[in-house]
Amino acid sequence: MDQEIFLQALLIAIWAGIAGIDLFNGLFHIHRPIVTGVIVGLILGDLPTGVMTGAAIELVWAGMVPLAGAQPPNVVIGGIIGTAFAILTGQEPQVAIGVAVPFAVAVQACITLMFTAFSPVMHKADKYAEEANTKGIDKINYLGILTLFVFYFVVAFLPIYFGADAAKNVVESLPAWIIAGLGTAGGMMAAIGFAMLLKIMLKKQYIAYFIVGFILVTYLQMPIIAVALIGLAIAMYDFYKTTGGQGAAMRGARGRGI
Amino acid sequence: MASENAAIEPEISAQANNPEFYENSSTEQVITKKDLNKMVWRSLFLQASFNYERMQAAGWLYSILPGLKKIHKNKHDLSESMKSHMEFFNTHPFLVNIIMGIVLAMEERKQNRNTIRAIRVAMMGPLGGIGDALFWLTLLPICVGIGASLGADGNPIGALVFLIIFNVVHFGLRFGLMRYAYNTGTNAISSLKENTKKVSHAASIVGLTVVGGLIASFVQLEANLVIHAGKAEIALQEDLLDKIMPNLLPLGYTLLMYYMLKRGLSPVILILITVVIGIFGKIPFPFGTIL
Repeated sequence: MDQEIFLQALLIAIWAGIAGIDLFNGLFHIHRPIVTGVIVGLILGDLPTGVMTGAAIELVWAGMVPLAGAQPPNVVIGGIIGTAFAILTGQEPQVAIGVAVPFAVAVQACITLMFTAFSPVMHKADKYAEEANTKGIDKINYLGILTLFVFYFVVAFLPIYFGADAAKNVVESLPAWIIAGLGTAGGMMAAIGFAMLLKIMLKKQYIAYFIVGFILVTYLQMPIIAVALIGLAIAMYDFYKTTGGQGAAMRGARGRGI
Repeated sequence: MASENAAIEPEISAQANNPEFYENSSTEQVITKKDLNKMVWRSLFLQASFNYERMQAAGWLYSILPGLKKIHKNKHDLSESMKSHMEFFNTHPFLVNIIMGIVLAMEERKQNRNTIRAIRVAMMGPLGGIGDALFWLTLLPICVGIGASLGADGNPIGALVFLIIFNVVHFGLRFGLMRYAYNTGTNAISSLKENTKKVSHAASIVGLTVVGGLIASFVQLEANLVIHAGKAEIALQEDLLDKIMPNLLPLGYTLLMYYMLKRGLSPVILILITVVIGIFGKIPFPFGTIL
């Protein structure tokens, strides 16, 4: 029995590793609960329950998509833990969802930490770029894939081997403010990326356009596509106004958007 | 094509000493259809090394690396190109192929580094938005709906149907857009060659407008503090900050980060500071949480 659950936990953990990679890379979408339900059902020997639980969890996550890079509760671990819990304990899919969601939130917080921890590696990548070392750049990306695999492998293996219920208690014993705080920090993170862009691109003559973009969203709630089109309109106006005198040279460029 | 290249070459070699430009100024077409397809497969790893400092930058460089290697046979040029592509990058993981196609066409034509950078930045934001609308809010719900309705009856075929529909559209678009963008880029560049500086300026205008908008939509920071002054209650966010200007905190925090970067602080330190602020902001003090 012990050996059987060890083998099952091992197989599910391998699947979690593959699906975890697929969530960010490949994006074949084998990581969705609807697929995971089938695989976990096969591994645990209860295909019908697996398929039905997977479909139920899928609908919970249908609206939780990574819009504008904001990460929803982790769909990979939610699907895997939820389905495994339903099959192993014989609970209804809805109860499985109740176990899966807090777990998935905690896992997503860990991923915030992982994305933070991977930042220093970029300085190594800068060095490889400086040396035109293409193999080095390859290696850094393969290291990232390996890290994702190991992370998901461990996170799926432990709760299934030691019991999904015990894991839920551990998650719930974490102070809520730490998890909420990691979420808040995640929302603020984008500021650093934009600041880096500004450091490269912002010159005095462009501050006006930066202000326009900010105002359009802040006060007029325009979607980014509209903001980009307005930027494009200003840029085209500027482009043709300043090149108007050149006539012949410009004719070829007419009608090309970029 | 060959006659046009000859016309461009003297113009660029005249600027060869400028570090913005290239030691090897040949603009020969070296990228083949096979190379483009190979790079589509590599772009599946766009987010392999995702992190908060550069986001997809290293994965982006990984994706276009075979093309860059073929275009820049000179080590100095390759190094300059690789360095500039290690700068912050983030877009939709499916529509990245459009930017790849255009940037590769520009690299092949040895365009000004600043122009390539400006085009890349101007495109990544809008494509992110379009990709969200197209894939996460349209294609995925449709495919999931079909698959899950079959699955709810315990039919495992639902998963298979889901994967097939989703990926036919997904990969059809990836390969199609890559080729389309590369060809468009190649054609557009030869007609715009006299105006690269102006194009760079125009692209910077679009880029900065978009960055201004992106900060307002994607940086999330709100105060939760309520100040008790006698009997009056002042909610810091609604009653004070929003009255001055909505999104004041996201803008302020971004500019603070910008200032710190200019002062030479490393982005990793800024990320750690942000994590600490986030957690500190959620500590349940007797007077409530700050954020």
